[in-house]
Amino acid sequence: MSTTEQRKVIDSRGSFCPGPITDLFKAYRSAQLGDVIELLATDPAAKADVTAWTQKSGNELVGIVDEQGYARITVRVTKKR
Amino acid sequence: MKRVVIVGSGDGGTFTANLLASKLRKEIKGGLVSVQLVGEHLLHPFQPGNLDIAFKGAVPDKYVRAETDLIRKGVEFIKDPAVKIDFSARSVATKSGRTLPYDYLVIATGAVADPSKIQGLAEGALNFHTGGADSRRVWEALQSFEGGTIVVAIAGTPHKCPPSPNEAAFMLDEFFQKRGTRGKVKIRFLTPYPRPYPAEKVSHVVEPMFQKKGIDVVTFFNVDSVDPAKHKIYSLEGEAFDYDLLIAVPPHHGADVIVNSGIGDQDGYVPTDKGTMRVVGQEGAYCIGDATTIPVSKSGVVAHLQSVVVAHNIIAEMNRAKGLLEYNGRINCPMEVGNHKGIFVSATYTSPPVDQSPSTVKYYMKRSFAMIYWRALGGGLERVFDVFFGQTRFPATEKEEPEKTAVAPVASQGGKREA
Ligand SMILES: Cc1cc2nc3c(=O)[nH]c(=O)nc-3n(C[C@H](O)[C@H](O)[C@H](O)COP(=O)(O)OP(=O)(O)OC[C@H]3O[C@@H](n4cnc5c(N)ncnc54)[C@H](O)[C@@H]3O)c2cc1C
Repeated sequence: MSTTEQRKVIDSRGSFCPGPITDLFKAYRSAQLGDVIELLATDPAAKADVTAWTQKSGNELVGIVDEQGYARITVRVTKKR
Repeated sequence: MKRVVIVGSGDGGTFTANLLASKLRKEIKGGLVSVQLVGEHLLHPFQPGNLDIAFKGAVPDKYVRAETDLIRKGVEFIKDPAVKIDFSARSVATKSGRTLPYDYLVIATGAVADPSKIQGLAEGALNFHTGGADSRRVWEALQSFEGGTIVVAIAGTPHKCPPSPNEAAFMLDEFFQKRGTRGKVKIRFLTPYPRPYPAEKVSHVVEPMFQKKGIDVVTFFNVDSVDPAKHKIYSLEGEAFDYDLLIAVPPHHGADVIVNSGIGDQDGYVPTDKGTMRVVGQEGAYCIGDATTIPVSKSGVVAHLQSVVVAHNIIAEMNRAKGLLEYNGRINCPMEVGNHKGIFVSATYTSPPVDQSPSTVKYYMKRSFAMIYWRALGGGLERVFDVFFGQTRFPATEKEEPEKTAVAPVASQGGKREA
């Protein structure tokens, strides 16, 4: 992991599919390997969608925490061309 | 004299100008109000026609009219692109050096499909989002395509007309079926979304149809680059596919004038209140259609319904009257699914799309939009649309209740959604 790794918080609360996942992809596009992206989402589909994406793409799902009224989904970028 | 300046003479801009000219006919005649419509082009395209040009061989001229034939009396059309929008000076500067002061501004500059944003895309792919001439190139490529793999890819979101990539895949299937060479053509659909169509209920309809028609779907494919020499498309996630013909929806961004005026977000879209359509934090300025940051479909129907709200609100402001209207997020995107069948992706901010079956009636309704469009721009079909679309706006103080069909939770600010 690089020492310059960044942590980015994306607030997609109030946004429905495909809002959260497209917000995540926008951050992924500009991310470097090792960066951590935290996605805040109220859309219930976001958890399953992000989990499925990490499984397929080989990026790391660091964790999903249920906060009050929203989920905090944390992803580490470990796979990117 | 109250001056209204509308920047962008596409769908939303032309319609807003015509609505104002019709509702303020006497005031314009009496010199109390002026409506100036600032445009880049004399010719006005019906953009959904691009699909017919690309996949059914329609000639581009069929879907173009002169802007001067579309505007009502009372609208001053200025063919002179805007180069700067200055909120603090309340003026718009044009390329020829004119300064147009305004009391009310409507930004309707649309979105730009831009293949140059992805390495190799402009050289390696054809598309039907950058105009009639480019759409015609798709049709020409299909004429000589004897067999191999055609990849349809979504190379950036959001883009105009969310159903259009799916339609492209269905229309390709139909094209080769009719030609009798479908067996020699593999159609592969690459999407960044988790499913063939982003909205789940719509995907329920679309996914089995893709399967039945033998269209291969690859999800979570965020296009990274294209290698035109190797005929390969790569994803950020590390997947790669070969193609013989690549048809891709380019990434979109806001118009140059928004970027150059420093009034957009990082993608050049204008931060806009999703109800009143006011530009956030700016007095007297509104934004409609594809140019806004509002995450509803970038579609003509949305631009149209937002125009009604904006025309109403400007007149209310002029009269210092209460009773502003708010747009309720109504979308209605038709999707042609091949073999004379269609569906409508309909929703509001608070009601996501519902289950439906493809029907021939919806297909023919979609096909009739081309004829309806030119009349609709003049404002003559508003009663019909009010019946067809149902509720699309509500008084600004009154909050809309979710419809019974709503399945998704309602966020406190009203849901943001792009269907
Ligand atoms: C293939 C395809 C299929 C589609 N199908 C459908 C469909 O079935 N149903 C549907 O509802 N919608 C559909 N759409 C989308 C629809 O065409 C657009 O969403 C709609 O035109 C948006 O209207 P608008 O006024 O926001 O932008 P536009 O109509 O794009 O107009 C923007 C205008 O602003 C002008 N402009 C830009 N910069 C400047 C400047 N500096 N100065 C002056 N003028 C400027 C542009 O030249 C343009 O005339 C489709 C689009 C495509 C590409």
